[in-house]
Amino acid sequence: MNRRSFFYRISRTLALITLAALPYALSRLLVPGSSQAKPKHDPRINHHKLRPPGALADEDDFRTACIGCSLCGEICPPACIQFYHRDGGGSANTPYILPPDKGCILCGKCMEVCPTSALTITASQAVTMGVAQIDRLACYPWVDRGVCGACASICPLGERAIGFEFANMYRPVIKSGCVGCGLCVEVCPHPSLPIRIIPLSPTTTLHAG
Amino acid sequence: MAQTSKPKSSRQTPKSTKQTKPDSKATHWRPSLMLRHLNKLRWLSLSVVFLMLILLPLLSIYQNYVAAHAYNHLASSEKLLYDTMEALTSPFTSDPEHDLDIIKGTTWSGQLFGLKLSDPLAVVNQIAAGLEFYWPFMLTALIPVLLTLLLGRFFCGWICPATLIYELNSNLGIWLEKLGLRISHRRFDKRFKYGVLAVGLILSTVSGTVLMASIYPPAVIGRELYFSIALGGFGGGTVFFVITLLFDLLVAKRGFCRYVCPGGALYSLLGRYRLLRIQRVVENCNDCGKCNAVCEFDLTPMRDNFGQECNNCSACIAACPKEAMTFVITIQDQPEQGVGHHSRHYRKAHHKTNTLDTDDQS
Repeated sequence: MNRRSFFYRISRTLALITLAALPYALSRLLVPGSSQAKPKHDPRINHHKLRPPGALADEDDFRTACIGCSLCGEICPPACIQFYHRDGGGSANTPYILPPDKGCILCGKCMEVCPTSALTITASQAVTMGVAQIDRLACYPWVDRGVCGACASICPLGERAIGFEFANMYRPVIKSGCVGCGLCVEVCPHPSLPIRIIPLSPTTTLHAG
Repeated sequence: MAQTSKPKSSRQTPKSTKQTKPDSKATHWRPSLMLRHLNKLRWLSLSVVFLMLILLPLLSIYQNYVAAHAYNHLASSEKLLYDTMEALTSPFTSDPEHDLDIIKGTTWSGQLFGLKLSDPLAVVNQIAAGLEFYWPFMLTALIPVLLTLLLGRFFCGWICPATLIYELNSNLGIWLEKLGLRISHRRFDKRFKYGVLAVGLILSTVSGTVLMASIYPPAVIGRELYFSIALGGFGGGTVFFVITLLFDLLVAKRGFCRYVCPGGALYSLLGRYRLLRIQRVVENCNDCGKCNAVCEFDLTPMRDNFGQECNNCSACIAACPKEAMTFVITIQDQPEQGVGHHSRHYRKAHHKTNTLDTDDQS
């Protein structure tokens, strides 16, 4: 091998490596948020990513059934359904709802449009996305820092799911009808979001009232 | 033969004699001239599908705005989107929030006027992942499967949104070659993609997830277009797709579709006994080899080698200067018909036999 062909080879290899690295660089550029630092106190880190309403109860079953077509997200009127990307691992391309970003309005369109058994048509009262939980050490009315009631007024299920504590007009209390749609989290004015949705699991219990 | 057929047609319709040139040597059978324009129709179909994949997320955003009654709160660019989509859809619907739901989704799975359609690969892969049959979902692939049984791998050539990009990409490769870049045209075994399909299905069963959704280009493209337009960012699939483009451009022309695509493998298997096939009319063929050159799937139409890989894209029909390629309805390809009757070899051989015959008589 003479020097000329050696340099030729080296430059060709370098060019190929550059080309191969191009997609990664492009993705770093194109995916928003990947390059900029995240805010230090993001209240969303305390919140669970929920499956859309009517989802199969078992997480493994859901991953098996979902084909990643993103129809549920396309049809969602408030656009609350988001999708796992690379970070999702085995759940890549499957949908989730993050209540602090946007809550579900329980319109049921995603269940109708889903081609598979991943989302099955369920009445809005029978949905089991989770159950809301209020941090009584932070919520404004509970610590006597004013009157609010935003969560109770937005709730699509009304009195069945959320009410007020006896003898206090503005201290919200979760009731047994809560399905975990997350609208209350979306509207909560407190910066630390003292209301959150806990996904239902066999160990989840609701202390109503 | 030409002598006998010409007077017959002139007796039936005097108009046809005007059209057939007296000196034309195309004798036995002339396929309709319209077939050559099918390739343009195919490009139109591919473009329409691709543009729909861009339009549908935009419509989806518009629906979100309408559902939120948010016009007064939109930024000016969002207002522009709102007004454009309103202008596009207002002739068809007065209730965009609900009426526009009739067309949703991608080629991976979608709904069209109340009819749910899914890719057969999605159904097969989902069955493999869950090892159980969910009939409502399986029925959504019924129409595509029936069409594939009849028309073969037509999805790959006529609908697949990735095909549009891949074909433009291979055209780019040709341009780069004209500019003087050396581009390798490696060939691999086409049966590799059946292995990808089988291994993918087994891995799906093991992992319990629908893996093909991440490596099947039409599914990736539909999803990525939706993510990038409506959800404000590409997902990981874009990286994968750019890698396949580079593979096609630098390693093997149209390599992903030829050697890797699991969907193409499934369609090839389904379309093995398809009814609609492209055939060579050996009487018109002059063995110029243009069909072999344009074939995106590296088949050799000039030697009657179509097989299950042919996607009926009709590029060879459009490229043929002698109208020697045509669509026929048959369940089997023709066995190799030998050299074309207009080729130099055939004429030489034919001439020789003629002279021999005359020698014998004299």
